[in-house]
Amino acid sequence: MHDISNLEKEGLPGVFVASGPFIDAAETQSKAVGIDVSRIFVDHPIQDRTDEEMIALADSAFDDLVKALTQ
Amino acid sequence: MAKHADGYELKDGISVVVNSECPTCQLTSDLLVELGTNGHVEIFSQDDPSFPTSAEWVHDDSELSFSWHNDVEAVPTLIRVVNGKEVERLAGWNRKEWERLLEMENLAPDLIDHKPGCGSLSVSPDRVDELEIKFGGRTFISRQVAIASLEDEMEAMHDRGWSDGLPVVPPTEARVNRMLAGTSRNSDDIVAIIPPNLAECSVEKVAINAVMAGCLPEYLPVVIACLEAICTDEFNMHGVLATTMGVGPIFIVSGPITERLGMNSGINVLGHGNRANSTIGRAVQLVLKNVGGGAPGGIDRATLGHMGKQGFCFAEAPSPWENLAEGFGFSSEQNTVTAFTGEGPRILVDQKSRNPESLARSLADGLRSTISTRMVLGMDAMLVISPEHLSRFTDAGWSRSQFIEKMTELLMVDTDEIIEGAGGIEDGIPSAFGGNQLPKFRPGGLLVVHAGGPAGLFSAIIGGWLNGAKGSDPVTKEITL
Amino acid sequence: MNQTLSVLDPTSEDRSPEIQLSERIKGIEGSTIGLLDISKPRGDVFLNQLEKRLTEHGATVLRFMKPTFTKPAPVDLRYEISSKCDAVIEALAD
Repeated sequence: MHDISNLEKEGLPGVFVASGPFIDAAETQSKAVGIDVSRIFVDHPIQDRTDEEMIALADSAFDDLVKALTQ
Repeated sequence: MAKHADGYELKDGISVVVNSECPTCQLTSDLLVELGTNGHVEIFSQDDPSFPTSAEWVHDDSELSFSWHNDVEAVPTLIRVVNGKEVERLAGWNRKEWERLLEMENLAPDLIDHKPGCGSLSVSPDRVDELEIKFGGRTFISRQVAIASLEDEMEAMHDRGWSDGLPVVPPTEARVNRMLAGTSRNSDDIVAIIPPNLAECSVEKVAINAVMAGCLPEYLPVVIACLEAICTDEFNMHGVLATTMGVGPIFIVSGPITERLGMNSGINVLGHGNRANSTIGRAVQLVLKNVGGGAPGGIDRATLGHMGKQGFCFAEAPSPWENLAEGFGFSSEQNTVTAFTGEGPRILVDQKSRNPESLARSLADGLRSTISTRMVLGMDAMLVISPEHLSRFTDAGWSRSQFIEKMTELLMVDTDEIIEGAGGIEDGIPSAFGGNQLPKFRPGGLLVVHAGGPAGLFSAIIGGWLNGAKGSDPVTKEITL
Repeated sequence: MNQTLSVLDPTSEDRSPEIQLSERIKGIEGSTIGLLDISKPRGDVFLNQLEKRLTEHGATVLRFMKPTFTKPAPVDLRYEISSKCDAVIEALAD
């Protein structure tokens, strides 16, 4: 999140992806750094997913990611 | 039960202001309890409504309203009120004085005779600004912007586009409140309409940017006068911003105010290092950018620019000659600022001329090439003449008007030398003007200002921009405190 | 350090005082998109699929990796990303 906020300040549009439980922390951190960074959340957990499940997660997030970068 | 000291009106009788941290208040607490219980005093407690005891006659002044409104500077303070008016007050513990004011005898015989009081919380440095804003009736018209908790407060200024490239002082309410004390004008008075966005600029907006620039409150009237000068049709600030020629407003302050503010008119006068010189000019530029929207890269497309566009302000030094403002019809006793559109200064050296005629010639030589040797009449210039150079003329008894007359004579240009193609240079005035003599500057187009350190046979030339209706003319404004 | 500071707006207030996000890109096709891996396990699988999809949509994809997920990306990595890419996606935090 700090990476994206730093990059935004440096002029590069960005978005970061995190898993569900991170939503509140991301909200708080976003307020704390003073930029409403674009963020997408995917289902938790991540660590014990199979490759197929990770690929599906990526696919499910894809459209939202494109929107976050272009709109 | 303590009553909240909402009001601050003085009631008849004796009011005592205390706080629980003060050793003198602690020393006298038993006595105060006795006096209060017997109806002789009402107590206002600044930090603990149960000090010296919980009672109906102990009022909670933790908001410091009673203390602030009644100018309490020390604790304990006793105030005697008769028919609604204060007739006497005491600070600290002094048996004889307390006995006199209370019209009692033999007070607290086992206490020492006297002990000085402590500072009142209402004048504590860390509370003063907050209280003044709360009770002093200051309301701000500008919007508040919250800096997020993880933001570095200095970076936050840059991140919002409020800086001119250098760090700026965060404009907190307390700082802006202090700055506004530097002027008697109302904070919502409109000072000027700022180009290019033609935004209304209040005294408060000027104060905010003056805080950011690092000004002291006493500089604020000068900053206001600078803005009044440049936001005129004659000065044409919009044109000055939009030209690719890279000129900027230069402010010359005249009058007794220059000494009072500690402005620099001497060594390194056109340089850095003096707070008033540096921050007044900078505050004006910040207003242009933040309020007017006139930023480099936007409307400001200057090819080269110069460092003075960060802020360029100096004081002229008194001399036997009339000063710049007098030349524009003001008296030397008036405080004024003259705004002139110009480039960065160029040094003119002459370390050998003793004779005023000779020095005049060498100054004219330098002035002839101002902006371009090929340009006449269309642009003004400023000559900043140093003390040593000036003395060449004043020692020989020359007046300012004699000097100007001589310079005008020496600055007549043979047009054959400056028409297009002359000397193999394509630039120049139309050839139809050949075979003539034209003055380099229009009447009044050479402004002479005396400033600089006492040693150094140098003067400086500051070339101007286009003058007249299509350009910018110098404007002088009086400074109102 | 953690107190919020309040300041007065020095501008003419014709726009929001909040820090603005950078301008978005026009579209994926023809853009160079950086994928920044925050270096947590399994993130690479996620990013590999994003790379596949983005490339299918006509983007050029560049891959970057943070040295450690425990600290913000160092300034030279950020410079590399912003000078080479039109936009960036960072993943995957859990």
